[in-house]
Parts: sequence; structure tokens; C-alpha cells
Amino acid sequence: MVKSKTYRGYGKIFFGLTALVLAASAAYLLVDSKMYNPRLFEFALKLRIPTLLVMMIAAFAIGGASIVFQSIINNRIVTPCLLGMNSMYSLVHTAVVFFVGSGSVIAVNTNLSFAIDLVIMGITATFIYGYLFQKTNHNVLYVLLIGTVLSSFFGSIQSTLVRVMDPNEYDTLLVSLVADFNNVNSGIILFSLLLLAALVFFLRKDLALLDVITLGKDQAINLGVDYDRTVRRLLLGVVLCIAVATAMVGPVSFLGLIIANIARQMLKTYRHIWLIAGAALVGMAAIIAGQLIMEHVFSFAVPISTFITIGGGIYFLYLLLFKKGEC
Amino acid sequence: MIRRIYGKSWFSTAILAGLLLVVSFVSLFVGVVDIDINTLLTDRNAREFEIFLLSRIPRLLAILCTGTGMSVAGLIMQQLCMNKFVSPTTGATISSAQFGILLSLIFMPNASMWGRTLFSFTMSICGTWIFVWFIQKIQFKDAVLVPLVGIMFGNVIGGVTNFLAYKFEVTQQLSSFLVGSFALVIKGNYELVYLAAPLVVLAFIYANHFNIVGMGKDFAGNLGVNYKLVLFLGLTIAAMITASVVTVVGAISYIGLLVPNIVAMFRGDKIRGTLVDTALFGALFVLVADMIARTVIMPYELPIELIIGIVGSILFIGLLLYKLKNGRKAIRLGRKERNCHG
Amino acid sequence: MNVCDLIKKYDGKTVVDTVSFTIPKGKVLSLIGPNGAGKSTVMGMISRLIAKDSGVIRFEGKDIGKWKSRELAKKLAILTQHNNVQMKLTVRELVAFGRFPYSGSRLTKEDEKMIDQAISYMELEDFQDRFIDELSGGQRQRAYIAMVIAQDTEYVLLDEPTNNLDIYHASNMMRTVRKLCDELGKTVILVLHEINYAAFYSDYICAFVDGKIAKFGTVEEVVTKENLSEIYKVDFEIIEINNKPLSVYY
Repeated sequence: MVKSKTYRGYGKIFFGLTALVLAASAAYLLVDSKMYNPRLFEFALKLRIPTLLVMMIAAFAIGGASIVFQSIINNRIVTPCLLGMNSMYSLVHTAVVFFVGSGSVIAVNTNLSFAIDLVIMGITATFIYGYLFQKTNHNVLYVLLIGTVLSSFFGSIQSTLVRVMDPNEYDTLLVSLVADFNNVNSGIILFSLLLLAALVFFLRKDLALLDVITLGKDQAINLGVDYDRTVRRLLLGVVLCIAVATAMVGPVSFLGLIIANIARQMLKTYRHIWLIAGAALVGMAAIIAGQLIMEHVFSFAVPISTFITIGGGIYFLYLLLFKKGEC
Repeated sequence: MIRRIYGKSWFSTAILAGLLLVVSFVSLFVGVVDIDINTLLTDRNAREFEIFLLSRIPRLLAILCTGTGMSVAGLIMQQLCMNKFVSPTTGATISSAQFGILLSLIFMPNASMWGRTLFSFTMSICGTWIFVWFIQKIQFKDAVLVPLVGIMFGNVIGGVTNFLAYKFEVTQQLSSFLVGSFALVIKGNYELVYLAAPLVVLAFIYANHFNIVGMGKDFAGNLGVNYKLVLFLGLTIAAMITASVVTVVGAISYIGLLVPNIVAMFRGDKIRGTLVDTALFGALFVLVADMIARTVIMPYELPIELIIGIVGSILFIGLLLYKLKNGRKAIRLGRKERNCHG
Repeated sequence: MNVCDLIKKYDGKTVVDTVSFTIPKGKVLSLIGPNGAGKSTVMGMISRLIAKDSGVIRFEGKDIGKWKSRELAKKLAILTQHNNVQMKLTVRELVAFGRFPYSGSRLTKEDEKMIDQAISYMELEDFQDRFIDELSGGQRQRAYIAMVIAQDTEYVLLDEPTNNLDIYHASNMMRTVRKLCDELGKTVILVLHEINYAAFYSDYICAFVDGKIAKFGTVEEVVTKENLSEIYKVDFEIIEINNKPLSVYY
């Protein structure tokens, strides 16, 4: 009885969110698109549709990864990006170009270099973060602090590599290596879509187990979950999702934190299918609307990630200081 | 017994000082242009001599002031806040100083170095005060929360700085203050960093006061020390040192955090005893990092911030894991166990 | 279920040292002993939460490591001390997790019935739609017990179920434990600090000292002045109430 009522509530929320995403997408495609001139219109769409797709994929990847990660570590203020996974991806990508040379086949072929990045990232990240959790005994504050430091560590190495590669034109090379919202990497849309679909397919059982893992390690084992294996698989999924998102739109540290928590706040459920879908929709709405405003109000002057950093940082401090019970 | 301890303490200080002298001397001859010591002594008009005077010596002095200043600033902040993880990096001081520079770029685009410094002084002092006031008010249960909050606070300020920089189109000019580098230090534009020297001396004079304030408000009151005055004085000194460094060479992280901690592992927490060692070790640390930065991709050089960022973060993570393992024994930490109850 | 030569070491320190015993079926067994004696570790190992270093744990004739985790979850349930769920979860949803080993996330009619029964058994009907983080400690503990009941296992392991509860809730909890055994026919194994709860509510007691079993037997056999003084190194007096030996110490 009560149950059905709650689910109807979700239905309403999801309907609202979807409508919001559609409206934002339509606005993004159509505003100032010179509809009166078919050729200009076509041109605008050609530019905007891939960007829109990239933003949607990135939102799904970041939202899903953040929710899954939060549930694995059983804490609402920790997200993979805060622990530096995205700067790690940027580093991996730069390092690959560094070692094979920017002119080689591997670096030129976006899909190939992305595939190589993914393999390296999958192995190193699961190793490093698995080690980190084990070493800190899942003490959340230490995980967070070390993660924050790791993030700047990867960043420093990456900048060093870029400068060594080309000490004169540091900025140009950096731009071509790392994507951002104004310079999305649309070459890997198909690859990313396939990858994400495969991830969801192969992890579907583990994702279902997430509901139980929320109860904590002991309870999960008590209820018959192969905890270590499931967590390992899910962590790999998280790493790959973050790699996809970072490859497409560059590092945005706080986005996951914001959208995952908004989704949790709105849905108030432990069902991860709903949470992941909710976080993805919230993320899409936020990014698309944000980019829309950025392009037409600020005319590209200020990158959207600046706003995410400010808002996300304040929100993080709020969670850390005043929501201790949930941390 | 007491004599023995003193003897030992002078010993380490002497070694550090000696080492610093040698490395300083060597560093003068590291660079793109090979400088022969004979030419220097014989030909006062040689191009080498000019380079030496205009670039090498200023650079060395700037490095020494930076290393000394940043580590002493970190030491003071750690003492005053009773937390081993507070420093200019983790206490929002550096990002506030950068914010100040940004304001000067926006409001006084033609300001001299001194004008810029004024802005950066004011903002870094305000930022540090706010942060410390805040952490004292909240009273964290876990010592690790403090740097976490500090880093995030710094991130937010950095975000605002970035936003305004984009808005007013001064990103290009600002970028040199964001990443610390000694590459641009030449005679005429770096003298400000000398300010660190008198401030460090001031810190030495008041060292005992900082120590007492570090023991807590009641402890200080009992000994007749004005807690608030010394606290704010100390923070102001630390913030001013940081701001002068940021204005001249840009942000240099981790030194203020790591150097005092490493020295404290060997020398304990008595500030008078550790201050000199901290200063010397800090200078040595930056000097060595700078030599690496200069030689890795000759004839170009890497910003020193990158070298220190890499080395520093590894050391910091090592320090964290060490403290996590050894808990209270090693260095005062808050509660070691998990802070969060459901 | 029997345990043979169980050993566990942490950082070279032996925490559980060649422990062997057989768990009597359909009874309440309490594990007692001073802090750090290894009782919780033993409990963790027999419930597969903690990996053992050596020894054999045989459950229904089969080594516990050879059981499929999911199958074991239908036979044996454990409730540890630390259950801090971060997520918004109602009492009913929590109890429903007890059916996970049977039906996964898709609940059948049968499951719903079991959940209803478990909730009414623990008298949680009025709370079933409340979020568990809004409950008091005693209520939350009851919700977890309800989940264990819904899990419908023959064996129930409880690690310090009275921890953090006041006297009223703690003795209620112990009465529930007794009922689980008497009414539902379960085998219950508890780790307890309160010797008198152990003495009053259990059938057998197993006392640990320094990782070894110091005494194992019925309540009357174990709870004697000499035994307790030896185990806890404190002077004890034993008085008898309701034919149960209760201890006094000071």
C-alpha cells in the first residue's frame, strides 16, 4: 500500500526529470540555430548534436559511477572524481601520447588510443585504489585526503610530461590532449556507447547486489554475497566510466558529488537502478542547461567547470561539516 | 644529560647548515650558460659575471628565502592550530594570496610589485584568519578533517579566482602566479621576497609564545600570555611570508606542510629547537628541487611547483599512512578511529 | 556444526589458538571471556566473515569454505555489532533483505508473508515504514533481529546483541533470543559481555581466555565461583535465583 505510493512518487520525479532533460536538449539544439536558413540550421545541428550526445553520455557515466562508488564505500561525500580518478585518466592519456609520440598511429587514431588508455587505466586504477582502501582500512577521511593529494599528484606529473614534450607551446598541446566542455571529444561517441552498454550488461548482476552491499560488508556476506569479487568488478566498472567521462569532457571533479547527492535527496531510496537513472538524468539536465547558459549568456567566456568547482566545493564543505551523521 | 641533548641538536643544525652552503654554491654553477669560476674571479666585465649577478645570485637568494619562509610559515601555523596538517597549502593561505593578486590585476592593472603585494597581503591574512577562526569554532574530532576542509576551502577560493579571471580576461597574467617558478627571478623584480627574512626573525623571537599558545587557550591564560593577540600575530606573520612568496615566485605547495613534519619526527615539537632546523631544511629542500627542475629538460626548465608537487605529494601520502598506522604515538592526532557514527 | 583446531593470527600475534568445540543443536550457546580473548573472532570465522588461518569448520558435514555463500545464507545468519547503514532504508525494506538469499531482489508472495511474520514477531508493525536512522537504538536492534528472522535460518549468530542497549532493552533482547530458540527452534550462538545474561538465558557457555577455550559446558558447569575467578581474575560470588547461578563481582 505504502509502497505503491512511493513508487508513484518516483514516477512523477522521473517524468519531471525526463521532461527537463528533453526541454534543455531541445533548447540547446534550437536556440540561436538560424532555423530560417536550412543550410545554417543543418550546420548548427551538425555541431550541436554530437556535443549534446557527449554531454549525455558523460552525465550518465559520472552519475552512475558516483552512485555505485558511494555505495561501495558506504559514504555520501566520497566520489571517484574527488579521489583523483579523472586526473589519473588525463595522466594516463598524456603518458600514452608521451611514450608513443604524438605523431604515431596510436596517438592519431582516437578510438585506438582510447582503448589503450582504458586498458592501462583499468589495471592501474583498480590496483592503486584497491590498495588505498585496504591500506587505510576504509577510513573515509584518510581515503578522501589521500585521494585529494593523489589528484594533485597525477596533475603535476601530467603537466610535467606535457612541458617536457613541448616546452614552448605548453598551452596548445595541453588543449589538444585534454578535452573540456567547449572542446568535447566526439570522436569516441560510438565506442563509449558500446562500452557503457557492455558494462551495464556484464555488471547487471553486481549492480543488483549493490542494494545488499549498502548494508555493509558483514551484512552482505551474511546474506550470501560474494563481497570481494562483486566490489572488485564494480570498482573496475566505476574506473572505466570515469575514464569515458574524462575522455569526453575533461576532468570535472565535483559534478558527481552534486548530482549523486541530489538524486539521493530526491528519490530517498536504496534501489540503485532508480538512483543511477536519477543521477544520470539530474546530471544531463544540469550539464546541458549549464552549457546552454554558458554559450549564450557568457558567450563561451567562462567554462562551466568553474561554476561546478565553486558550487561543488561549497556543497562538499557543507556535507563534510554539517551532515556528519551521513558521512 | 641536558648538555648531551643540546650538543646533539647543534650537531644536526650544523650539518644542515653545512650541506646548505655546499649545495647553494653548487647551484650557482648550474644553468644553461656554463660559468667557469676562474672567469668569474678574473674578468669582472665578462658576460658570465653579469649573468651571475643578475640571475644566478638573485635566484639563489629567492630560493633560500622561499624555502625558509614557507617552512617557517607552516611551522607557525601548525603550532598555533595544534594540528600537524595545517599549512599555507592546506590552510587556504596560498589561494587567498592568489585571490589578492587577481584583485590587484583587476582593479590596479598597472600596479607595481609593491601594490600587488599589498593586495595579496591583505587577502592572505583575511583568508587565513577566517579559516583558523572557522576550524577553532567547529572543533573537529578528527585531525584529518582540518586539511580536508582547508584544501576544499582553497579550491572554492581558487574557483572564484578562476571565474573572475575569465570574466575580466586576466587569465594569462594570473597564470604565472598560480604555478610557482623561479625562472623569471632576475635582479629588480624579486627583492620583495627578502621580506621573508625579517619575518622569520620575528617568528624566532616569538617562538616561545607560539609554543605556549599551541598548548591551548587555558594554558596560555595561566602563563599570562594573551592568547588571541599571539594567535593573530602568528597567523599574520605566516600569511605575510606566504603572500610575499606567492607574489614573487607563485604558489609553492607542500613545503610548509612537509618540512616541519619531517623535522619534528627527528627533533620533537619544541618550536625554538626546531625552528632553525626547519628553516635550513626547507631551504635545502627547495634548492634541491630547483636544481632538478633546472636540469631535467635543459635548456628549458620545469616550474619548480611541478617537481615539488610530485615529490611532495608522495611524501605527504607516506606521512599520512605512517600516522594512520602509528596513530597517537608518532604525532598528535585526533581520534584515530572512524569519526562517523551512523 | 563443529569446529576443530581453529587458529587465527593478526600481525604474528595469535588471537585464536587451536580452538575446537561442537555447537549443540537447538540450544543457546554463549561465548564469554575478557576483552581480546578471541570470542568475536571465533564468531566471525564460523560465519565466514573472517578468513581462518588454519583448522576446520564443518557445517552439516561439509567444510564451511566449500559452501556456496548464498546457500549458507539460508542456513546461517549473523548479526555483527556495527550496523551503520548510510542509506535511507525503511524497517520493512531492511527486513525484506532477509529474503535476499532466497529470491534476490524480486520478492515473491511467500517472501512478503515471511517479512510480515518477522515484523509482527518483533512487534515492529507500527514502525515498518519509518527510516531506520530515525529509530532508537533498541528499535533498530529489533529491526535487525527481524531481518535475521526473515532470513529463516537454522543457526543465528549474534555478536554482542545487548551492546549499547539500556537494561530494559537489553533484557528484552535476551528474552527474544530465548524465544528464537524455544519457539522457533533455532540454534543461537551469542557473544556476550554480561555474564549474568549468559547464565540466565543460555543453555551452554563457552569461556575464552587468551584465544583458548578455558571452559565449555552447561551453565551450571561453567558458572562457578572458581571458574569465573580464574577466567576474569576478579573475585566472584555466586547466588542462585530461579535455579540459575548468577554472579556478583566487585
